[in-house]
Amino acid sequence: MSGVERWAVQRAAGSRLGWRIGFPRLYLAGALSVLGGLLLWELASRFVVANALFLAAPSQIFAAIAALAKSGELWQHMSISAIEFAIGYAIASLLGVIIGFAMAESAVMKRVLQPWISGLYATPTIALAPLFILWLGIGIWSKVLVVIFLVLFPVTINTEAGLRTTSERLIEMLRSFGATPRQIFFKVSLPSAVPFILAGLKLGIGRGLIGVVVAELFGSRAGLGRLIAQSADAFNMPDLFAGVIVLAAAGIALTAGFGWLENRLVPWTKD
Amino acid sequence: MAPKLQISRLGKSFGELQALRDINLAIERGEFIAVVGPSGCGKTTFLRIVAGLEPASSGEVELDGRAVKRPGGDRGFVFQTDNLLPWRTVFANAIIGREVAGRVGPAERRRTLELLKLVGLEGFENYHPRQLSGGMRQRVNLARALAIDPQVLLMDEPFSSLDAQTREIMQTELMRIWEAGRKTVLFVTHQIDEAVFLADRVLVFARRPGRLRESVAIELARPRTLAIKRTAEFVRYVDHIWRLIEDDVRASVIEEKV
Ligand SMILES: Nc1ncnc2c1ncn2[C@@H]1O[C@H](COP(=O)(O)OP(=O)(O)OP(=O)(O)O)[C@@H](O)[C@H]1O
Ligand SMILES: [Mg+2]
Repeated sequence: MSGVERWAVQRAAGSRLGWRIGFPRLYLAGALSVLGGLLLWELASRFVVANALFLAAPSQIFAAIAALAKSGELWQHMSISAIEFAIGYAIASLLGVIIGFAMAESAVMKRVLQPWISGLYATPTIALAPLFILWLGIGIWSKVLVVIFLVLFPVTINTEAGLRTTSERLIEMLRSFGATPRQIFFKVSLPSAVPFILAGLKLGIGRGLIGVVVAELFGSRAGLGRLIAQSADAFNMPDLFAGVIVLAAAGIALTAGFGWLENRLVPWTKD
Repeated sequence: MAPKLQISRLGKSFGELQALRDINLAIERGEFIAVVGPSGCGKTTFLRIVAGLEPASSGEVELDGRAVKRPGGDRGFVFQTDNLLPWRTVFANAIIGREVAGRVGPAERRRTLELLKLVGLEGFENYHPRQLSGGMRQRVNLARALAIDPQVLLMDEPFSSLDAQTREIMQTELMRIWEAGRKTVLFVTHQIDEAVFLADRVLVFARRPGRLRESVAIELARPRTLAIKRTAEFVRYVDHIWRLIEDDVRASVIEEKV
């Protein structure tokens, strides 16, 4: 083994080791930051804004979450929102990837679809939620449609961009071996688009969650948005914040899970 | 015996620009040919036409008497940038040419492993490109081209991104690998000493339009070691070729003034 090679081995081993040591430290800083924030919040709501109509203290919120969980109410709301999100997100992801492929592969498709995709991506389609409720009722399907509208476009746009920006050099390399267009697609274009597709899906998580809750605010029987709306009507700040906190936690958990998935699926983009 | 590669009246234009004009050349089986010339004289274009990646505008390239129209498994291309797929391991990168040809059995796997060993990458089969140094990545690039067992190896400035020491190591390694297999090689480089060290023949290209100025036979005994670079004979070859290119650079400067 030459010096260069030994150096590369050490570098490879080093980066693995660095990750192991670095991770808990990062984790610690994040945890301290959150705890500190909660402490400030608690103090502020006890001594500065002592009116329970304006602000609830974290201790009250966690008590509210515990009570809601115990009565089973929380699970009911969470499961409805989760189902709406999951169905909408799955449909939008699948459709988005398919439309993105179609646009990357066919110039005609791209020309036909591009104005719609760009236009609808920039529009706050969430404002259409009342209309969807009018069409589909206050059950889960109107919310599913809102989620689809919010998640579809970032996924489509990223898929198309990922396929389009495949490195010409890599394509030429494969072509030098006499690869067919089909082989080039599966061996180069598709894998190099995966990081882009994942980024689009990640963007979709936040947008989809907001979509579910806002659509529920406009009209629903159950869901975290419903919990928030009815708590607001009753001026029950601890319950309102409970809904918001659960939502935030879901968003953080989903995004973190996604980051983990990215690390496993596309580690080469992480340098 | 018929030549391995026969290039006749080859020309290439990109719109107005005449990149190559009237190249005539016969290359024997097992010959190591180096191509040098000023920047923009069409070396890469020439190699890409032989590879079948670019169509000729006129004339033709024949490999074993058959006209070259498209890329094929009889030619392996080693790129200037390594063009490794970052999501594949060293082994999976090296075997991709076989995969494209649709034949990946135990024999192909074994051969690819042997080649990785030959280029000095034994033990690195499961590494990913980002874990390798530049020199190691170029070794994978070379192994990938060799893995399809091509009859002709086309190399476009494969060592230009490497530091001087690594480049010299790679030159001797390439010599060793070539001595073992005696493939026909077309090797483009900007380094005249690299060309003289490696080649049986150095083709000196001129620019505007890109054309073959002179073919210099290098009659240095083989096997060659790096020490040969300090002999008077070696230096004479380098001087001679440098003078041919120098003239051309001067001519092009005058041409630009007019
Ligand atoms: N696809 C292309 N379209 C238009 N012009 C091109 C194309 N490829 C090459 N050329 C032109 O043809 C000429 C020869 O280019 P080529 O890349 O073959 O030169 P080269 O000898 O390899 O140069 P270098 O030593 O800098 O790599 C250049 O003037 C270049 O601009
Ligand atoms: Mg070039």
